[in-house]
Amino acid sequence: MPPKQFSASIIKTFTDMNEGLIKSNKRRFLQFAIFPFFVLFFFYHPAGAAPAKTAVCVLPDKVINGLVTDSASSPLPGVSVYVKNNKSIGTITDVNGRYSLSVPDTATLVFSMVGFEEQEVKVIDQVKIDIHLLPEMNALAETVVVAFGKQKKQDLVGAVTSISPKELKVPSSNLTTALAGRVAGMIAYQRSGEPGQDNADFFIRGVTTFGYKKDPLIMIDGVESTSTDLARLQTDDISNFSILKDATATALYGSRAANGVILIETKEGREGKASVMLRLENSVSMPTRSVEFADPITYMQLANEAVLTRDPLSQLPYSDAQIDNAIAGTNPYVFPATDWRKALIKDNTTNQRANLNVSGGGQVAQYYLAGSVNKDNGILKVDPENNFNSNIKLVTYSLRSNINVNLTKTTKVAVKLSGTFDDYAGPIAGGADIYRMIMRTDPARFPPFYPKDEEHQYVDHIMFGNYSDGSGQYLLNPYAELMRGYKNYSQSVMNAQFEVKQNLRFLADGLNFNVMLNTQRYSYFDVTRAYVPFWYQAQSYNRRTDKYQLQMLNEDKGTEFLDYTPGAKVNRSAFYLQSTLDYSHNFKQKHDISGLLVFLVQNRLTGNADDLQSSLPFRNVGLAGRATYSYDKRYNAEFDFGYNASERFYKNHRWGFFPSFGLAWNLSNESFWGTLKSTVNNLKLRATFGLTGNDDIGSAQDRFLYLSQVNMNDDGRGAVFGTDNRYSRPGISIARYPNTSITWERSTKTNIGLDAGFFNHWDLTVDVYKEVRSNILMGRAATPAELGLSAQPQANIGKAEGRGIDASLDYNQTFSNSLWVQGRVNFTFAQSKFLVYEEYDYRNEPWKSHVGYSVNQQWGYLAERLFVDDAEAAKSPKQNFGEYGGGDIKYYDVNGDGQISALDQVPLGYPTTPEIVYGFGFSAGYKGFDLSVFFQGLGRESFWIDAEATAPFVNYYYSDAEKSSLPGKPQNQLLKAYAEDHWSEDNQNLYALWPRLSTSSIGNDNNSQRSTWFMRNGAFLRMKQLEIGYSLPGKLIKKWYMKTCRLYFNGTNLFSISDFKLWDVEMGGNGLGYPVQKVFNVGLQVNF
Amino acid sequence: MRKYIISLAAVILLFLASCNKYLNIVPDLAPTIDNAFALRSQAEKFLFTCYSYMPSHASLTGNPALLGGDELWLVPTSDNVPWKIARGNQRIVDSYVNYWQGTQGAKDLYEGIRQCNILIENIGRVPDMEQSEKDRWTAEAEFLKAYYNFYLVRMYGPIVLMKKNIPIDAGEDEVRLPQSPVDSCFSYIVQLLDDAANNLPDRISDEASELGRATKAIALSVKADVLVTAASPLYNGNKDYSGFVNSAGLALFNTTADPKKWERAKAACKEAIDFVQSVGYRLYYYKPSFSQYDLSEVTLTKMSIRGAVTEKWNPEIIWGNTNSMADQGGIQGSATPRGLDPAHLDNQGTRGSLAPPLKIANMFYTVNGLPIRDDKDWDYAGRFNLKIAGQQDKFNLKEGYTTAQINFNREPRYYADLGFDGGIWYGQGHYDDNGSDLFYLQAKQGQPASKIVESAYSTTGYWPKKLVNFQNIIGSGNTYTVQAYPWPVIRLADIYLLYAEAINEVDGPVADALNYVDTVRARAGVPSVEQAWTLHSRTPDKFKSKEGFREIIHQERLIELAFEGKRFWDLRRWKQAVSELNNPITGWDIDQASAEGYYRERTIFNQTFSTKDYLWPLNENVLLANYKLKQNPGW
Repeated sequence: MPPKQFSASIIKTFTDMNEGLIKSNKRRFLQFAIFPFFVLFFFYHPAGAAPAKTAVCVLPDKVINGLVTDSASSPLPGVSVYVKNNKSIGTITDVNGRYSLSVPDTATLVFSMVGFEEQEVKVIDQVKIDIHLLPEMNALAETVVVAFGKQKKQDLVGAVTSISPKELKVPSSNLTTALAGRVAGMIAYQRSGEPGQDNADFFIRGVTTFGYKKDPLIMIDGVESTSTDLARLQTDDISNFSILKDATATALYGSRAANGVILIETKEGREGKASVMLRLENSVSMPTRSVEFADPITYMQLANEAVLTRDPLSQLPYSDAQIDNAIAGTNPYVFPATDWRKALIKDNTTNQRANLNVSGGGQVAQYYLAGSVNKDNGILKVDPENNFNSNIKLVTYSLRSNINVNLTKTTKVAVKLSGTFDDYAGPIAGGADIYRMIMRTDPARFPPFYPKDEEHQYVDHIMFGNYSDGSGQYLLNPYAELMRGYKNYSQSVMNAQFEVKQNLRFLADGLNFNVMLNTQRYSYFDVTRAYVPFWYQAQSYNRRTDKYQLQMLNEDKGTEFLDYTPGAKVNRSAFYLQSTLDYSHNFKQKHDISGLLVFLVQNRLTGNADDLQSSLPFRNVGLAGRATYSYDKRYNAEFDFGYNASERFYKNHRWGFFPSFGLAWNLSNESFWGTLKSTVNNLKLRATFGLTGNDDIGSAQDRFLYLSQVNMNDDGRGAVFGTDNRYSRPGISIARYPNTSITWERSTKTNIGLDAGFFNHWDLTVDVYKEVRSNILMGRAATPAELGLSAQPQANIGKAEGRGIDASLDYNQTFSNSLWVQGRVNFTFAQSKFLVYEEYDYRNEPWKSHVGYSVNQQWGYLAERLFVDDAEAAKSPKQNFGEYGGGDIKYYDVNGDGQISALDQVPLGYPTTPEIVYGFGFSAGYKGFDLSVFFQGLGRESFWIDAEATAPFVNYYYSDAEKSSLPGKPQNQLLKAYAEDHWSEDNQNLYALWPRLSTSSIGNDNNSQRSTWFMRNGAFLRMKQLEIGYSLPGKLIKKWYMKTCRLYFNGTNLFSISDFKLWDVEMGGNGLGYPVQKVFNVGLQVNF
Repeated sequence: MRKYIISLAAVILLFLASCNKYLNIVPDLAPTIDNAFALRSQAEKFLFTCYSYMPSHASLTGNPALLGGDELWLVPTSDNVPWKIARGNQRIVDSYVNYWQGTQGAKDLYEGIRQCNILIENIGRVPDMEQSEKDRWTAEAEFLKAYYNFYLVRMYGPIVLMKKNIPIDAGEDEVRLPQSPVDSCFSYIVQLLDDAANNLPDRISDEASELGRATKAIALSVKADVLVTAASPLYNGNKDYSGFVNSAGLALFNTTADPKKWERAKAACKEAIDFVQSVGYRLYYYKPSFSQYDLSEVTLTKMSIRGAVTEKWNPEIIWGNTNSMADQGGIQGSATPRGLDPAHLDNQGTRGSLAPPLKIANMFYTVNGLPIRDDKDWDYAGRFNLKIAGQQDKFNLKEGYTTAQINFNREPRYYADLGFDGGIWYGQGHYDDNGSDLFYLQAKQGQPASKIVESAYSTTGYWPKKLVNFQNIIGSGNTYTVQAYPWPVIRLADIYLLYAEAINEVDGPVADALNYVDTVRARAGVPSVEQAWTLHSRTPDKFKSKEGFREIIHQERLIELAFEGKRFWDLRRWKQAVSELNNPITGWDIDQASAEGYYRERTIFNQTFSTKDYLWPLNENVLLANYKLKQNPGW
């Protein structure tokens, strides 16, 4: 028996069995019993070959044929055609848009397809019904994913933004980079462009808390996920993308929802022939802007100046001879002048992406299968001498399989399997660190490497340059760091999800029961292989022969072979169970009611806990519900609640009830609206109010805030005694004092919204909100040191407020001459302020108080100007930050006490996260051509140039840990901008960009205080994306069995407008890291 | 249908009921602080925790007395924290070596005091301990509490006394206490020490595992130190602080000197000396353990001087801090000159950056036991003149080496304590003082011990040889094998000199006072005070007056205890820092290759010290967190 027939018969058998079972057991059993058959069937029958669509049928009365086309008269394949109120009689159109269906005598046919308006045709006498489907203009008919379900947009009460996945399509393998400016209500920005590290930061309605968890809850297919999971998601796989912003939308998630929720659903298969989509992209990326360094000659000259200006008697770091020879270019290996960036970084790199998905299915089972491969390359150079590649290469694979099976008429089963796999190879230090090392390498001490001379022709390693000053500490050679080895990591996330949807119409019409089980496994490991570089230094240069001698500096340390270092290994698992019971009913045409009850359990485990408390499982339990009522499509009311518990709190404070309610009024459906409908085709007012919570407070390590955290064997607190120090014992330390009254953060949200449509082409949504976040966990700042506590006590004392507006305006029109235009403007304004903040008693210095300022507000000093000379510095108020003098920054003594101290800090500039994010753009198409442009910007953000990290000539370490881990002594480069504009004896500019130079902490400690001197405005507007596409004409591609074939070119981050020129302003204070990338991309999308 | 809904509701309720259980995931065995006192072995860890707050006396970054004054200087590129105080940069924002809060190199002493209180309050609960041991541990905690408080008082003057722990949930006003007057602080410390002394062992019997823990000998010695400090002019009748009152209106300093304080100090010193001598402590004299070389008297005397500090657990060490060792990575490595062994110029274990300024070199006596300006037989004016070392100098100076006259005819401590250009450096693998292979320093430009490396040289041309154990071996590569020794916090000579000082303050230069000074001088190979002054001094009667003898005792202390972290505090308690620490830091002109060029005095830094610097500033946020505190005057 051929497989097709075999499977059909199996299906028939178990369908029959099933029906019989239900009858015989008086419908009391769920259909779990047949699960083994189902599995059997699945294994035997490949999902790709859908069974014939004849398994279920009712006796036909007559056969209707027809053709379904779009407005341009092109045939539409895949349109569902079914009999109204009896979906079991139905079919879908074939490749040529044709269908054939046997229908009862008096039926109404429904034609529906996503993206088109549904049409109904009453069958009277016709045998042939041809139909044009119109593109869906009225966005209200869309369904939107909301917590644990879907709602029609016109019934929405809460503030939910749903955007089309198309909008998120950018030439990047990181979905989070597409969010900025696309979604009203979301604040997003990207600080780094390094593959694997380039997740954008994003917050729903800004940040209103000052705990550690600020980012939204992300639910992918109903399961809590991380922002990296979101980043790896393929836009092509997404069917719905919603942002839940206010209380009614998020209350069901209870104590996890205060920061908003991102809801994503992946695509599912649809009945019909297999539809194949293939997308190929190849892009070239390069930094949008690179930090410019001064040339090595200037570097040496100014390094000498920096020493002399502080201490005229000091020895100069660079001799005149060295500088003169470097200028003359005598011998670049003896008198090096290295452009380190050029030595390490390429101009651009290429990335490839491929994406394939197949969907289809029959009435019994539908499938959606997708796979993708993304390859992102770093921009680092590779030395041919090495037999390995240390440039960054991040390959991410993802595979997804969503299968739905209709077991019986009332039972559906879905299996969703997905995996995301990252394979990374790159330099040991990571891309951003390589950039930071380049910033910290002296350009004039040594070349990256020496060529092999006669004496060293048999040497089998790269002869890296270095410089020995005899201290035994070598300098940082980033070239060697990049070339000496590589790191591999492998990261995988596996998701398996099983869902049973049982229609309980035998109990009550409109009642459904749904169980979903999900487990997620995460694993990560990395390994590092590296050799120890040999350092060489050029000596005894003979000017006449132009020859030098190479001296090996670390003969005993260097190695020619790779050594291995094991790295981190992370394993996590998560289990999630959710069961929902929902009910919806329509009474007397006008009354719609619905109800939903959800029970959920979540359990997460980590295999790499550092201590007992974090090794214990992470658990959540909850019950949530929703009730809606709508009258005559005019009035909507909704009540939601979440009742859930978190294991982090003490018994008495574990459970929380988070209710919310909302009302909406569809004015445009009122009878009095009448004639207005032609101009204002839709107008709806919404208002919601409610409570949500946040249990991720304190820090991730603070698991059980009600318990004390005691380390019974703390080596840092031990002591040692005895003649030869032989007797030692560890000590006991307390990292946290117990506090049983700690509980979650509470957020009270109010939202007022307006949806309006004009002239059938314009859609406007505006939401105004206010949020009061209370119970924010804070350390008791005013605990006197004399108390001697070894940890700061904490309590739920903070309170903050957020308010703002998010709005979007859409324009959508198709003209008769196959021209279509779409436009979109998004605007988000989110502002926060402290209402209660635990701080010192600042009654004498009110400017120090946080109350009334944004949670991301920074405090610092007011920089007046630079000191004219040492004498002025000596008679000005004492500045408490190390030695300073003429040419160093003079701060303003705000409280007039004759000292510049922390009390003189005032709120500076805007918050460090933007308060405004906006985007606007349009797309237009004519025949096969399409064009879209998107601009994005943000405003009301300040950032600070890192005055310590950019301080020229100093040995700067980003952290204390780096002091021991960094493989050489760093010495900061000189930014070109600083070289051109700094205070010096010759140019005593009191307002120069950089103060008086210094090679040590003298002056720099004073100047690097957070002040207005280095504050910059983070606002910018950038052309985020430009895309031009061409779809090949249908006739041409039909020969190649294609349905559509579109070629497109797009560019990302093409240009930006900002006052700040040192680096890409979006990176903010992180400007010395891996730059944000500009991408040019060519793509091909084919549907079969 | 109702039936189904009811049963469904029942299921849900059942679920929720089991949920609480589901969320109780913390095992009962998660440790709490109660576990610390459930067993003796755990309680012992808590006792050690109390010790872990002991200031790191040997640490160049943790002990402000090493680099915070004028005794040692560093290379200009150093970012050593205490040295910033020496350079006049102490501040009220994130102040340096902040023992009040445990930041900038310091330990959190108030946290330490709280731990001691916890131990004292809870030790009674431990089931498997003898009462006598509980008493001993309590006494140790009391001793530590006393020492931590004393350490704070020396820095900050009036402090907050945390006699009992304040509960964590106490009210706002309960947790904020004002500073107590210094006199109350001192008497509280003395009371703690008296209590502790009663229950502490006389000295450690189980030396292998307990040496370094508190004993009665230590407690009584600390008490002597505390009472001498309390009697000293900074704390006794200091008029600079008149009007400095706490928030309750109490004067924090007394402004009229109370002579009784010296009497109490004298009694305490006597008590301490009598006791420690009775349990076997005595001045250290070097006895070569191997006799292959017949060492000269000169070398033996120098070895006695060096060994009193670097020979671990020698009979003079009353209190050695085992938790702060003088080791290779710390002070010994920094005190050993790079290039001491010319064969290992690149040995990075020898960092040699600690540089005693010229004024410290000048402080040492002449061979006659007199200050260099006071010795009529020593050519003070010609001290910078060059002279070639002869055969008679060979145990101290390299024979035939040209150096300045200042290096000739000095007391043994000069040669024992200091390394300098042309000076013999006995030890480090070379032990035959008659042989020709003894190390000697060559520190002029281009020579092995000169500034070859930016970070490892002496800016003055001197090194604190005293801190380097003579058996350390400079090996090849970067190996520098060091005989680490527990930092000598208190040694007998210190107590002798405190006693002499106290006697002189009470009774003037009586024989007893002279005796104790002379005992110390005798070990150092210096003639007695009477002999020295009578025979060679320009002011032969100086030692006969209380004031004159006070000066002599002070200088004796500064010399005998040089580089041991005493000068810093002594200059303060004597109120002499304003005169001493306003002098420039000078050294030799180390960038010169010729002897003529090298032996010129070069100013390295102009130090400043004003009255406010006698006390540490309270960090600004300490004052903000506790509005009952008053900032120290001048800050």
